[in-house]
Amino acid sequence: MPSHDILIIGAGLAGQRAALAAAQTGSSVAIMSKVHPVRSHSVAAAGGINAAINVADDWRSHAYDTVKGSDFLGDQDAIEIMCSQAPAEVMHLEHIGVTFHRNESGELDLRAFGGASMKRTAYVADITGQAILHVLYEQLMKHHETVDRYEEWFTTSLLQDDDGRCCGVVARDVRTGRMETFHAKNTILACGGAGQAYRPTTNALIVTGDGIAQAYRLGAPLMDMEMVQYHPTTLAENGILITEGARGEGAVLLNSEGERFMEKYAPNKMELASRDVVSRAEQTEILEGRGVGAERSGIWLDITKVPRKRTLEALREIVNIGKDFAGVDITREPIMIQPGQHYIMGGVKTDVNGATSIEGLYAAGEVACVSVHGGNRLGANSLLDTLIFGRRAGEHAAARAATIGMPRATDAQLREDSATIDAIIARDRNGSPTRPRRVSEIKQELGDTMNKYVAVYRDQGGLEQALEIVKRLQEESKSAYIDDRGTVFNQDVLGALELGYMLDCAQATVVAAIERKESRGAQFRTDFPKRNDEQWLKHIDISINGKDPARPGGGGVGGPQISYSPVTITQWQPEERKY
Amino acid sequence: MKVAYWPGCVSRGFTPELHGSMALLAPLLDIELVELDRACCTGAGVIAEHNQELADTLNARTFALAQQVEGAELMMNICSTCQGAQSECQERLDANAEYRGHVNETLAAEGLTYEKDPAGWAGSFTNKNFLWLLVEEIGLGALRAKVKRPLTNLKVGPFYGCYIVRPRDRLGIDAEHPRDHYLHQVIDALGGTVIEYAGMRKCCGFPIITMNKDASLKQAGRHLGDAVDADADCLVTPCPLCHLNLDMQQPLAEKVVGRDLDMPVLHLPQLVGLALGLEPKELGLSRHVVKPTSVIDWTTTVVGAAA
Amino acid sequence: MAEINGSPPGAAEKFTLRLRRFDPESGEAPYWDEHTVELEPHRSVLEGILQAKALTDGSIGIRCSCRAAICGSCGVRINGEPGLACHTHLDHARASAAADGVIEVEPMGNMPVIKDLIVDMDAVHWKKVQRVTPWLIAKQPVPEREYLVEKEAMVDVTQSMACIQCGACVSDCLAMEVDPGFIGPAALAKAYRFVGDPRDDQQDIRLTDLAEDPQGIFDCTHCFKCVEACPKGVNPMGQIMRLRRIAIGDQKIVDKNNGERHEAAFTTLVKDFGLLNEAELLPRSYGGNSWFGKFHPAAGKVLLSLLGVTVKAVMRGKMSPKLAIFGHKLPKQDLDAVKKIYEKIESREERYELNLYITGYDEPDETPVPVAAAASSGEESPAAPDTEGSAN
Repeated sequence: MPSHDILIIGAGLAGQRAALAAAQTGSSVAIMSKVHPVRSHSVAAAGGINAAINVADDWRSHAYDTVKGSDFLGDQDAIEIMCSQAPAEVMHLEHIGVTFHRNESGELDLRAFGGASMKRTAYVADITGQAILHVLYEQLMKHHETVDRYEEWFTTSLLQDDDGRCCGVVARDVRTGRMETFHAKNTILACGGAGQAYRPTTNALIVTGDGIAQAYRLGAPLMDMEMVQYHPTTLAENGILITEGARGEGAVLLNSEGERFMEKYAPNKMELASRDVVSRAEQTEILEGRGVGAERSGIWLDITKVPRKRTLEALREIVNIGKDFAGVDITREPIMIQPGQHYIMGGVKTDVNGATSIEGLYAAGEVACVSVHGGNRLGANSLLDTLIFGRRAGEHAAARAATIGMPRATDAQLREDSATIDAIIARDRNGSPTRPRRVSEIKQELGDTMNKYVAVYRDQGGLEQALEIVKRLQEESKSAYIDDRGTVFNQDVLGALELGYMLDCAQATVVAAIERKESRGAQFRTDFPKRNDEQWLKHIDISINGKDPARPGGGGVGGPQISYSPVTITQWQPEERKY
Repeated sequence: MKVAYWPGCVSRGFTPELHGSMALLAPLLDIELVELDRACCTGAGVIAEHNQELADTLNARTFALAQQVEGAELMMNICSTCQGAQSECQERLDANAEYRGHVNETLAAEGLTYEKDPAGWAGSFTNKNFLWLLVEEIGLGALRAKVKRPLTNLKVGPFYGCYIVRPRDRLGIDAEHPRDHYLHQVIDALGGTVIEYAGMRKCCGFPIITMNKDASLKQAGRHLGDAVDADADCLVTPCPLCHLNLDMQQPLAEKVVGRDLDMPVLHLPQLVGLALGLEPKELGLSRHVVKPTSVIDWTTTVVGAAA
Repeated sequence: MAEINGSPPGAAEKFTLRLRRFDPESGEAPYWDEHTVELEPHRSVLEGILQAKALTDGSIGIRCSCRAAICGSCGVRINGEPGLACHTHLDHARASAAADGVIEVEPMGNMPVIKDLIVDMDAVHWKKVQRVTPWLIAKQPVPEREYLVEKEAMVDVTQSMACIQCGACVSDCLAMEVDPGFIGPAALAKAYRFVGDPRDDQQDIRLTDLAEDPQGIFDCTHCFKCVEACPKGVNPMGQIMRLRRIAIGDQKIVDKNNGERHEAAFTTLVKDFGLLNEAELLPRSYGGNSWFGKFHPAAGKVLLSLLGVTVKAVMRGKMSPKLAIFGHKLPKQDLDAVKKIYEKIESREERYELNLYITGYDEPDETPVPVAAAASSGEESPAAPDTEGSAN
């Protein structure tokens, strides 16, 4: 059975960065991913990465922008760490070969991005995520002797020993169906968010909340799950993202009357206000009848303002997207967009080293909530988050590994997971008493529900509806059937497992949204439209009912249980948030 | 119609039967060929590999010479590789006025200029392979009407090769101009039977004949073999370089793929010429390394009856 | 059912997909499996397949993730041509289908099939990528901040950086089809990403390696398949040609595969004759770029192997001895002009290379389509007022 000092689940930016950092300490490292590492959703990140590398810039300015962007829910110690370490990390990326765009003097060029008081976003055309991810993978290929890669292995459970420590995972080799127990002194979750619980979403089909749900089931608290970001510019039909970089280059938003309506909502930053502000502005325009398109459900994004040559150089990918997916030449005409689910600020609660409350279990990237993004994430801060905290988790885990012995688990979990999978495969589509549903049907209903009731504007009635539906879907998922009875590359059964993860994440989100009776960041309650620092300047934590991390196996598997944790404030007191 | 005619190098070198058959065929199609005998080799992609600007300039010179032909309606070539190489250069020249000006500076020494939209030409500068001209300028209907010796019962496999079918955008292949099906249409119009086979649009291997002889001949051998297996009587190709690797190298290709092939390869003007009533000998069919005896019975008559 | 993807009913059409299935556990041969889906015509083939998976047969195996042509998972062959399933519209696929309008989807070629549309890319793709040392070997000393690099150089390298490793080029590479060990278009495009990166220290070593490898840059058969297949405009064959150009022109590598000799011979013959002299081309490619090349043992060997054919060709009048010995030339005036062009261009200090990926295409003068309804006064300044600098 494979045993490593550090086992990383998820091979996106956070996972690969953690692997690199850990390998450099000489620890034994393995990285596992349910898809080939370069297929990880980090590859779709487009616009850029923030860092105060300009000599005229100051990381404290970046930190303040981030705190403000988070609507003061972000933990300022973590934000300070992220912003102060950003310049060094960007230079590190440059040195390992990321092909950052240059300015006329040959230095890293910086573009404008949302919520930033100064241009501080380094970029590679509009394929920054891809460029960084591929370069990190190049490094893993370079270190192929020191980092073991398990590509196309699906994690089914986290393992816990008798003392409550996380000691590895059970995983399935997707190609052969073989199940295996992996021992690890430290497990780092880097599985990304849970966007597929929404429909539409900018997220890839693989973003199904695996890590969030698995940590939750093990007893680790989730934090800020109600904070779900709707990106202002996604394609109406299929949710594909149009990068904020377009607005950074000068693109504008127009309603049916041809007006730049952002002037009403954010007269200073206009289209480059924070994403929640822009999404709400768009949604309001649509609700008030000034939407565009056949169903007046969209908004124009006009990129024709940007010089054509610049668009082709720095926004090539969205030129292709416009052409291929919407039949529009963005250099000549506006493209119709709408707000769409994009990112979850919430996730597995960690400290500034990526450690969760469960010993031996770390989390970094979108799966985690440190929290650096609080109630709303600034564009180009996510790439930064994944790299800074991926590295820190890798380093911290490596240091911890040096002090402990290799844990051992029995194969009980493996047998249980194998049985679960067999049972799903064997489910009878004609089972009584109620007609069982297809996994895909339930997933679709979940997505529609979340997009209807837990979107840009929320209220008690809608949220309670959503919760009811989610609970019903959880019940239905227990008998949901699939078609594939095979062992080799059975994507169907993995889909059934992923459905369970999405439902858990959705449930936590709705419960937290109901609990937070105020509007802050991405959460806007029409019944509680104001921000209420006195009562709600705190994080909402969700833990699985009855599970005490210190007593594994104790307590039943129940629903979400709510608690709170304070927001760490270092320098910046909450103030009114205007753009 | 009058065309500025670029015959290429190989048609005047190792495949003289191509040059000769085109010369005989042209009057039957009412084409007046004005040979660009001052123009130089297109580079076949190899000069472009060495230096892009050099290839672009040499071909711009050829285009400029073509534009000087009084009364020419377009430029015509009889070689897919010329077409592909020239289209690539033309794409760059047409795409960027600054670059075009830069290249024209070099041509100015000879008093030549390449114009994207030459005066006296309908529209912009056009360079068409004979195959395209046949379908687009002359027309399949008109071609059909001229057939004197229908190629009845002749099973012809079209060999397009690479340079005339890829990349599609550059070569103007679209729904209105299905140029990657023109050989099919021409064979059909001449009364022949089209034989489809796996290697139709694959590479003959010529570009690597000196760098990896084995891989080169394996390609030729395989595609010829596919045609044999599909029961073709012969192949037809619009490219003399393909012809070299498929015909002249066929004996060696047979050795590499370990089977007898006996697959004659005709140049496009030869196939058209046969159908329009020209004699096999004058079309140079006797010069091929692989004798086209399946097409022509040397002892008795030719395929079909001459009308 | 037309609602399944949120499309308004009425706009959706029926499309028939014919999928190549293979169940490795069944012991059966691969077979065709037809599914009819209903979607708007501009939706993708992938969406069609996913609809079939969701509604009828969840066992259909296809790798997919982002749906936006950036992750590279869904490489397949559609109607015989390689590409991304998410990037191919249903109506285009139907138009390019055979007469019956059925869209055929098969797994990519040149790679073993694991199940249905899922192939094993390890040996044919990933190992090849690993082969070209695909990581930056940074020029020393590494600066404290960024390397100062010319803007155009970085944009140039972004073209090969845009590769999403989908395998479409590898799928249909014709050189690889006959020579499976060929390093291949994807890996070589990746190699250019380093050779063209001014921060890399090993241009000479990389190029020597790839030029001397008989399955390296000179094994590419120049067939344009990869250029056509690539969904991201990487132009792999173009990158291979640049590798050749730099290896020969800058690094002066003379490889054992005759790549340099062939290029030199071809180019020189056109300079000296204005036209290609096939009789000289072959021996010089083996024996070296001079009239004496034909006397080199390597040249002699290949000429000998062609002796039979040569005799035949001469006897049949295909080749005249005069032509073989003297070649054919342009008239003197024109040959001089050609020579002058050569001299002028080859004497430049730096090669002038136009890369349309970087410069784009000139546009005819056209103003963008205006948004309907009057513009408001706020439209003049495109950049947010308080960001530093101007938005270019």
